[in-house]
Amino acid sequence: MNLVKSALACLVLVGATSLAQAKPIAFSHGTTVMAEYGAGTMVEAQVFYAPKYFYSLGGGYLALESDIDHRRREITYARVNYLAKRWNMEAAQANVFVWGGAGQAYVSESNDHTFAWNAGAQVDYETRRVYASLKTDLHRSEAFSHRIDTLQLGVAPYEHDFDTLATWFVVQARNYTGGLHDGTEWALLLRLFKRGAWVEAGVTDDGKLQAMAMVNF
Amino acid sequence: MKKLTILVFALLGVGIQADTIEMKVYGLVCGFCAQGIDKTLRRNPATADVLVSLEHKLVAVSTREGQDIPDAELTKALTDSGYDVKGITRTKRSLEAIRAEIGKAPK
Repeated sequence: MNLVKSALACLVLVGATSLAQAKPIAFSHGTTVMAEYGAGTMVEAQVFYAPKYFYSLGGGYLALESDIDHRRREITYARVNYLAKRWNMEAAQANVFVWGGAGQAYVSESNDHTFAWNAGAQVDYETRRVYASLKTDLHRSEAFSHRIDTLQLGVAPYEHDFDTLATWFVVQARNYTGGLHDGTEWALLLRLFKRGAWVEAGVTDDGKLQAMAMVNF
Repeated sequence: MKKLTILVFALLGVGIQADTIEMKVYGLVCGFCAQGIDKTLRRNPATADVLVSLEHKLVAVSTREGQDIPDAELTKALTDSGYDVKGITRTKRSLEAIRAEIGKAPK
């Protein structure tokens, strides 16, 4: 909760700057495929198709493993993403996304599968030089409740254009609830994207790999 | 005769010059996100070429000979890509001339 409050404060502070964040909706008739490796605690893969620019449909797989007691969840879900609000400014863009879905989860303690649902939101703001985003993603079942809160603040050393490589340096703070990780996990990331391809990688404060790849087409 | 031939071809050249549509677009800050603009506009059969410039907040479309894209279709294409069109102008200058002016190499 402290992380969420801190993140909100940071978002307000960087309001005059900006944010370049992966978005769950690409564009009308666009498909997004994403895979993330989160320092051994989480692995996630998603595929979404957007019939309209303001919503997308798809599914994902999320594996969570506690680095405290090695409890494990493997969640497979269907999800709807919705662009609740977008501000297109002259040299900036800001968005509010929300999503929800349901599926099935494997729970290691009981060695059984159970119904699970998920809900989340993302607020982001970006220019061509700075960005900030705050994302919260809740996964619940009768056996567990885990929320993953992620704050990202990024700065670009130069202003990229449509056909040129974009380079971003990103600081990420992530907090897991439900006994998955003790404390806030910090990571430094290098993000590169050009046209429809996006890759980022870095290390956490535990020296573990944090990486993500995404394509839009 | 040679001069006449050159003149005829020059006039024909002017006659077949495609129109270029320039759009001022807000929210253009991310090349990864803006690719929907390029894809959507290129799907239009009247489109010959597309130029997107984040720096100039510009989307320009050259149309095929004798064809045009109505403002409503252009606005819808940009809206479907998640952006706001703030102005549409038509010009006789070529997309190549615009590229040269803003220092962008052709795709």
